[in-house]
Amino acid sequence: MEKQLIITIAREFGSGGHEIGKILAERFHITFYDRNILETMFAGKEKTQEVLKQYEEKPANILFSRRVRGHTNSLEENLAQMQFDFIKEKALSGESFVIIGRCAESVLYDNENAIKVFIIGNQKNKLDRIMKKYNLDEKEADSKIKRHDQSRARYHNKYSIEKWGDAKGYDICLNSSYLGIQKTAEVIENYIKMRNEDK
Amino acid sequence: MLTIEQVMALIIFVCMFIFIIFDKIERQYVTLFAALLTIIVTFGICMRSPSAIMRALNIQHFNEVSFWFSKKGSESKMSGINWETIIFITGMMIMVEKMGKSGFFKWLCMKIAKLVKYKPISLMVSFMIMSFGLAMFIDSITVILFLAAVTVELAQLLKLDPVPMILSEIFCANLGGSATMCGDPPNIIIGTTLHYSFKDFIKNTGVIALMSLVAIVIYFLLVYRKELVNEQVTQEDIEAMPEAKEVINSQKDFLVSCVIFLLAVILLITHERTGVTVGFIGVFIAILTLITDLKDSLDVLKKIDYKTLLFFIGLFVVVSGLEETGLLKLLAKQIEEVSGGNTIVIVAIIIWVSGIASAVVDNIPFAATMLPVIRSLAVASGVDLAVLVWALALGTDVGGSATPIGASANVVGTSVAIKNGYIITWGKYCKTSIPATVIVMFISMGMIIIRYCL
Repeated sequence: MEKQLIITIAREFGSGGHEIGKILAERFHITFYDRNILETMFAGKEKTQEVLKQYEEKPANILFSRRVRGHTNSLEENLAQMQFDFIKEKALSGESFVIIGRCAESVLYDNENAIKVFIIGNQKNKLDRIMKKYNLDEKEADSKIKRHDQSRARYHNKYSIEKWGDAKGYDICLNSSYLGIQKTAEVIENYIKMRNEDK
Repeated sequence: MLTIEQVMALIIFVCMFIFIIFDKIERQYVTLFAALLTIIVTFGICMRSPSAIMRALNIQHFNEVSFWFSKKGSESKMSGINWETIIFITGMMIMVEKMGKSGFFKWLCMKIAKLVKYKPISLMVSFMIMSFGLAMFIDSITVILFLAAVTVELAQLLKLDPVPMILSEIFCANLGGSATMCGDPPNIIIGTTLHYSFKDFIKNTGVIALMSLVAIVIYFLLVYRKELVNEQVTQEDIEAMPEAKEVINSQKDFLVSCVIFLLAVILLITHERTGVTVGFIGVFIAILTLITDLKDSLDVLKKIDYKTLLFFIGLFVVVSGLEETGLLKLLAKQIEEVSGGNTIVIVAIIIWVSGIASAVVDNIPFAATMLPVIRSLAVASGVDLAVLVWALALGTDVGGSATPIGASANVVGTSVAIKNGYIITWGKYCKTSIPATVIVMFISMGMIIIRYCL
């Protein structure tokens, strides 16, 4: 039986982390979880999936949520907790997968089979990428990047001990701007192979 | 012009409220720290009044006979920690914990579901009435915690949508809480502080709540008529349902819990006649629950929601800061001026301001703050205090139903639904609950005005 492999990928907005994750999933022939995680979690409930997409990987709105005896009405927080449970469950089941964001490196901090990656990028490269992808001008792209990164950081830092992007929380941090998406993915692939050889 | 101690008390209170709303720090730490500041800064440095500190801590109240036994008309104490509320809530928490462990709530739900033959419309109505009835004696958080969980379970087995039922149960739990002195924390605070008995509440807010329940059952049936009519339960689904007795975890605990609960209800209903206070009832019920199963008592004690109790303690001290410095009297004077001393206008202001405020902020700190205000208002305007009390109780209890964050039961109910994959957004919640709240607020205001002001 093949050894379990979990790759958690945290990323700056526009760094190409999502694409790198997809490449790695293909190379290792393992499942890829991003937003599609909702499809697995709420299979057959398309309406629910649609509603929850707006609340995914987002910090709770403090003015519209309250906590009582460990319960909260916040959809963001409840969904985050459900996703964490789902990630843990999948890891426990022995499944190999790549997971994008969702505090996975923190949820699986003590999982020996989990390789925790953080992808960053130079501002210029990120801007080019986002401008092209979403058809935006530079100013709009810049503000989109800032908005998303702030939101990701707030979401992550609420549930994790280590801060979002702090090298202490990851096994490998890479800047995708120098080698490009394909080669950065290769570096990570080699790193994973070498790590698994050592075991 | 405000004095320095009034300014300090106000700053502490406002900051405390902001921190509670933002929920960055657990709310019991917020109120306790605010209480410490009130004692040191407002009472100590600004007022230099050790007696104000003593009144705020209110420890001496335990030694007074009035803590255990009270007579109607005895002088009410406004300022300081309301230990009677704290002790009563603790006692009820212990009793309810044991009831939950024994399987009582689940048993009751399953029994009623079977009685109404699992028919969607009957299920919804019976669970609404059950929620109302239970919340009259037990805190609405516990009621909803169990009811929502069983509703989800039933809905999954019977292939129904549990959201309409959960929303209606939440509303009825809040409504049931408004009916009695012990149903909702604002009522416990009002009752213990101003010495209103269980009977007083039943005769006043209870009647209004019951009338409102009839209207609300009709309202929810109309709102969800399409869903309810379309839902069909098959014989196969019914046969797959577990028997009520199967959910009882321990026969002995179940029977003991039922007896203690019954005793608590009798003590509460008769407390005006027997003269025992709810503080006494809290202690008695807690001791009785613990000694009937000593082995399990430590476990039960560990499950007490100490955070809520500490939150209350801190809150009472901060509110006493506002009261001791005379700020709340100023607020009362303002309300009197705005209303021109007209009873109907005062009732309308109290009920709607309390209702709207409770819809967006926690209704417990709001009620605790407003209580000294309405007492000053009654003195200043000559309006019967009882009329203002019922307006405040109904406003805070009912207003809390309007939004998912207005009352604790709403938070717990929506949370249970979401965790089970049934999404309740703010929009979905408010679409039915705001109109329902407005209906009950109008019924309450109308009945108070007709009964007491005309």
